[in-house]
Amino acid sequence: MSAPQELAEARDGPGSYQIRVKEHLDARWAARFEGLSLSHERSGSTLTGLLLDQAALHGVLRKIHDSGLTLLAVVQVVSEVAEPMELDPAQSRH
Amino acid sequence: MTPILATKLHMPLSRQGRVRRLSLIQRLNEGLQGKMTLISAPAGFGKTTLLCEWIAGSGRPAAWLSLDDGDNAPVRFLVHLIAALQTVAPGIGSRILAALQSVHPPPVDAILPELLHDLGALPHAVILVLDDYHVLDAPQLHAALSFLLDHLPPQLHLAVATREDPDLPLARLRVQGQLTELRAADLRFALPEVTEFLNRMMALGLSEANVAVLDHRTEGWIAGLQLAALSMQGRENLPAFIEAFAGDHRFIVDYLMEEVLRRQPEDVRTFLLHTSILERLCGSLCNAVTGQTGGSARLEALERGNFFVVPLDDRRHWYRYHHLFADFLQMHLQADQPGGVPALHRQASVWFESEASAADAIRHALAAKDVERAADLIERAVPALRRSRQEATALDWLRVLPDLVVRRRPVLSVYYAGGLLMGGQREGVEERLLDAQRWLDGTQMDAAPPMVVVDQDEFRGLGSLIALYRAAMALSSGHFTETVTQARRVLDLVPAGDEFKRGAASGLMGLALWADGYLEEAHQSYLEAMAGLHRAGYRSDAVGCAVAVADLELEQGHLHLALATYERGLHVAMEGGGLALRGAADMHVGLSALACERGDLKAATQHLSRSRELGEFLGLPQNRFRWCRTAARIKEIQGDLDGALDLLNEAQRLYVSDFFPEVRPIAALRARIWIKQGKVEDALAWATAQHLSTIDLLTYLREFEHITLARLLLSQEHHKQTNPALLQAINLLERFLYAAKDGGRTRSVSEILVLQALAYRQRGDGREALTRLEAALKLAMPERNIRIFVDEGAPMAVMLKKFAKQGSTVNAVWQLLKAFENAGNAAAVNPSSLETLSERELEVLRLLQSELTGPELARTLAVSLNTLRTHTKNIYSKLGVNTRRAALRRAHELELI
Repeated sequence: MSAPQELAEARDGPGSYQIRVKEHLDARWAARFEGLSLSHERSGSTLTGLLLDQAALHGVLRKIHDSGLTLLAVVQVVSEVAEPMELDPAQSRH
Repeated sequence: MTPILATKLHMPLSRQGRVRRLSLIQRLNEGLQGKMTLISAPAGFGKTTLLCEWIAGSGRPAAWLSLDDGDNAPVRFLVHLIAALQTVAPGIGSRILAALQSVHPPPVDAILPELLHDLGALPHAVILVLDDYHVLDAPQLHAALSFLLDHLPPQLHLAVATREDPDLPLARLRVQGQLTELRAADLRFALPEVTEFLNRMMALGLSEANVAVLDHRTEGWIAGLQLAALSMQGRENLPAFIEAFAGDHRFIVDYLMEEVLRRQPEDVRTFLLHTSILERLCGSLCNAVTGQTGGSARLEALERGNFFVVPLDDRRHWYRYHHLFADFLQMHLQADQPGGVPALHRQASVWFESEASAADAIRHALAAKDVERAADLIERAVPALRRSRQEATALDWLRVLPDLVVRRRPVLSVYYAGGLLMGGQREGVEERLLDAQRWLDGTQMDAAPPMVVVDQDEFRGLGSLIALYRAAMALSSGHFTETVTQARRVLDLVPAGDEFKRGAASGLMGLALWADGYLEEAHQSYLEAMAGLHRAGYRSDAVGCAVAVADLELEQGHLHLALATYERGLHVAMEGGGLALRGAADMHVGLSALACERGDLKAATQHLSRSRELGEFLGLPQNRFRWCRTAARIKEIQGDLDGALDLLNEAQRLYVSDFFPEVRPIAALRARIWIKQGKVEDALAWATAQHLSTIDLLTYLREFEHITLARLLLSQEHHKQTNPALLQAINLLERFLYAAKDGGRTRSVSEILVLQALAYRQRGDGREALTRLEAALKLAMPERNIRIFVDEGAPMAVMLKKFAKQGSTVNAVWQLLKAFENAGNAAAVNPSSLETLSERELEVLRLLQSELTGPELARTLAVSLNTLRTHTKNIYSKLGVNTRRAALRRAHELELI
């Protein structure tokens, strides 16, 4: 766990983020998420890159939501040890 | 109604057959008993379609509003909301609309009660639909809608479709059973619906197993199923396609969009990709952007073919793509033809320009990154925006342009400064004005790029606009001399016909002169501003000026003039029939305050209620503050001092800083009440907090506070005749008197004289006291300013009684004593009993004591018998009697003769 001060610094300024979504995205999507790099895993895709601040992060999250993608996790890479913030990956359906 | 607004109010009911969702519709219908329906799910879940189907079959009229980013501006949102409501209840909220479209639209919280009132009068039940609610992110709007929900009249049901849960009191509504919710899990197609969609509507004839595979792969996501159907239409081997689709692990949209696009003929594919940059589509616009022909037919074909095309009007002129579909098309366009996108935007910009749709033309020019073109368009568009008071929009555009582009365009530089000023921002204004000034003066540096001017007319008038903005800047920094200098420059530069600029300059000059204490000059300046604005048709602004003009007249002690000004203002606000203008409410508040000072509480109360009845939105920004201040005054006169304090605190809360000098600060009014209540400690604390002392330099803006300080000193020394502080107060008042007389501030002069009279009396100097009192009576009584004496209570009454026996202005003294009698029951004061007998009437009254007959009296007075009758009738009515004998008895009682 990072010290509170470090966290505060990371929150205010630019930070590196990893954003995981459930869907496998085409290379085309890189243009939509300008500045972020796109990679694929066994279960979904990851957007990685430097974001200016919280507002920029929320902008990306909104785009993800608006595109009908399913958000799985947002990880801020504060120090060497990342603290993942897992979101509920299950989407209920009947 | 503009075409764009019309499309926002249009329920996008598709003519396609739809999967009927009976169980959902039943839930929605049952939910009509509650206040609100919430449909919250990500894109592509058929929220809008479900709403349309429900409403079309519900039998209830629905007001439909599709929200967009622009609706985050509260005024725009409310205008659209009312326009939507008017589609089902013609005429509803017309008064609010008029107020919203005026110069300074009233604050949202002033409008909501009025809107609720109108909604409560709806003759039938109505569903209000807000589609795409997620685009709203202004907290003010969430608060406004929460307020509406809390007070929702039973006729109205609110239905919200959104991608994100809105910031509304959902939990509370849930607990109260007032909320019906449909979420993604409810909206997904279940297997029977998937079957109905694929096999009945799209007629794909799939096997049960194939349908199940598609259901599984799309998870019942409707947009996914629709894309799948599009890519299967006309395909030979469907099972093979489905197998490949199911086995692919890519995002279904990526997979299917590629399939859909690949299967279209070249021209259709190009059409789809190229038109994806458009927010709205019509045939001619599509032709311009794609370079093809037959755009309208193409759009209709796409709608028939289920290509995510939504009609925006009944005539099927305007369409839009489903947001999600447009996003994916754009992604393909961006990936396939990145270099071609700016050209598409540029063609769209040209088309919108030819259609005189400036905002869209500018938006596309900016998207094309063609900043020079955008700058040209903005320069041409701003004058119209300024006329309709949309400077904020202009500023939004200008902020996007690179700084260098703005700086070489003097017209845009000045618009930039104006936009900042209107938004209450001072930083950067002078810098922009200087940029423009340098071009005008020809002192721009040689190395600078050449100047660009598109609008030559505006350029010619730029010098005066710069001066006008500089005057406003100077005023807001408290540089009154500079304000006057710049305003004069405007008046020198602007031709006689440009009433708006002239009026604005005169108004700014008036405010500066006023704050500096030059009341007569300020009055003159403001009269010119008011007349000019009225001539130019800016009636509401003219009414706004009347507030200042009357304030100035009251400062000068001209209560009669102020009365006439308010009445004239009210007339202007009401002329033109039907709808009252903003400012009408302010006139009533002014009339109320005036009636207070004349001791006519009945009229004061009536005007105050009338102001409230007109509605807060017919008041200018300061009206709520003034309303409370006047209500406090009424309470004070009625003797309810605690009530007065409460209202003054409320007034303080409502105070909005504007350019009006704060001549009577609330804190000082509060201190005066404390003095009356004997709360000397509180009053002293006020004086300390305001850094008031008896040796201050006297300035007009602090005069009211200084007089209040003198009152405080006098009240402390009530019982100590010989205390030096009393002398100190007297000397202080003498200095004030000199300054106030010098500045022509008769209201202050009268008050100071009254205080001096009381102070001298306290010292035992009865002669000097009466001299001062007489001077005050001569100034204030012809204007019927009664409260200035009655406010002082018993000591004043005693002094007046003494004076009545010896003085020359007996008539006025009698009136005042009468007012003192009535003050016991202040609310019942009858204004007619307070009216002055004129000199001529007093003469007639004296002659009535004789034995002369009517005709003899007339001859003695050298008037006709009719004139004499008029005089006697007036005398009788003022004395409240019917006969000569009763009049004489009354006159003796009152020592009038």
